[in-house]
Amino acid sequence: MGLLTILKKMKHKEREMRLLMLGLDNAGKTTILKKFNGEDVSTISPTLGFNIKTLEHRGFKLNIWDVGGQKPLRSYWRNYFESTDGLVWVVDSADRLRLDDCRKELNALLLEERLAGATLLVFANKQDLPGALSKDGIREVLALDDIKTHHWCIVGCSAVTGENLLSGVDWLLDDIAARIFTTD
Amino acid sequence: MCSSRDSVDRLHELCAVYYEKRHTNCPSCRMLGYIWQCFYSSCLRFWLKWFLRLVTGRCELQRICARCKAGALRTSQIEYSLKSSKSKVLQTALSVKQNELEDRLAQIIQEKRIKEQKDPTFKVNLRQCLLQINGYNELFEEVEELRKKVFDSENEQHENMLLKLWDLLMPSVKLESRITKQWGNIGFQGDDPKTDFRGMGMLGLTNLLFFSEKHTDAARQVLSHANHPTLGYSYAIVGINLTEMAYSLMKSDALKLHFYNSVSGKAEMQHFHQFYCYLAYEFDKFWLQEEPESIMEFNRYREKFHDKVKGHLQEPEVTLTLTPNPEN
Repeated sequence: MGLLTILKKMKHKEREMRLLMLGLDNAGKTTILKKFNGEDVSTISPTLGFNIKTLEHRGFKLNIWDVGGQKPLRSYWRNYFESTDGLVWVVDSADRLRLDDCRKELNALLLEERLAGATLLVFANKQDLPGALSKDGIREVLALDDIKTHHWCIVGCSAVTGENLLSGVDWLLDDIAARIFTTD
Repeated sequence: MCSSRDSVDRLHELCAVYYEKRHTNCPSCRMLGYIWQCFYSSCLRFWLKWFLRLVTGRCELQRICARCKAGALRTSQIEYSLKSSKSKVLQTALSVKQNELEDRLAQIIQEKRIKEQKDPTFKVNLRQCLLQINGYNELFEEVEELRKKVFDSENEQHENMLLKLWDLLMPSVKLESRITKQWGNIGFQGDDPKTDFRGMGMLGLTNLLFFSEKHTDAARQVLSHANHPTLGYSYAIVGINLTEMAYSLMKSDALKLHFYNSVSGKAEMQHFHQFYCYLAYEFDKFWLQEEPESIMEFNRYREKFHDKVKGHLQEPEVTLTLTPNPEN
């Protein structure tokens, strides 16, 4: 009985976060997730449905949901909104033709009531590609400065090389932790 | 004498089977397994082999060839025997090029002091086993090379393959332009399929095209199921996910028994494609039977299907080939 009580208490105290990773198809969501988890990223195929990974980082238990971004799947995104602490919006910075689409989808998400309390991290991914728009370029096209409803931050990164993934996630964790674990 | 020889051989075989078995569930079984493995491979195996050689007058390779019929049973036992051999000539026979094969066979016969006149079929049988074993590894290299080849819009051959895929699957609909929403009708994600090949590269496209070319009716039937309003799924990207499944099964050596049973010599690229066709056709059947709630459940059913296929692939007599039923 003693052990069980301690375990229950520990579980209660465990600092758990739920992160939801969304973006258009081919943005690099699964690659970011796998790279962050230290897995091989050379054999990824398009995501149908979703992937979920639970991992420990800086003493937090992160439940990361990576949901497919293909158009027919976007109507299912709302099934994953509940109790999301952080929203990671992934952008293919080299796919300039679809940045408008990308902005519209993001704006629609920010109006969602169930995401109202979530912190927003925008990954301007694929910075390693020659035609990629810079982090500041993405910030402008997506009109991020107009966002007043959410804490947000944009980080230029490359999922393939792993560049800046850590600093982006660290910012996100700090922001969420300051909001929900303040009593600790 | 003959029957006692057989029973000793069977005992040896049993030991080998026990050795191969993985008791991964319970820790004490695992422990016992380890002890048994160490004991068997370091000491018991050697003396059993010595004893059998003395009684039968034949080496282990000969006994395997005589005992097992051609196929996975024989080839995988030969492979195991060569791998655990202490002789360099035998050990490295697992990675010889096709043009060095004859020399290597002669070396093995010399090394094991085998009298060819007494066992005339041995050389033929061993050659076939070596062709199969080395063929598997060579085929995987070819598959890997094709996977690493990125789909390139500037490459006319790649473009033609993509357009041919459309024509085979949608014979009555003309593609309006190269970049179009129509690609969604055969289950690509966006207006341009090129981004969907990703980690599977040209292997994904070649698999899709092979299925549509060699089994056109089956492929169209699968496509029509994929476009079902409630049970539908994205035909092409499910296909690319299945290429990934075939690739990782091959990489983990899980396809060995299947290839040893179904291809008598060196396995070629077309045999890999044939296996993909089996997956594409069977996955569709599986999906319809299971009636998943939505495409969001894909990964769960993919796992379930993967486990089912993997189960089949462990059966010694396995050969997985597409056998279409002539329905709808």
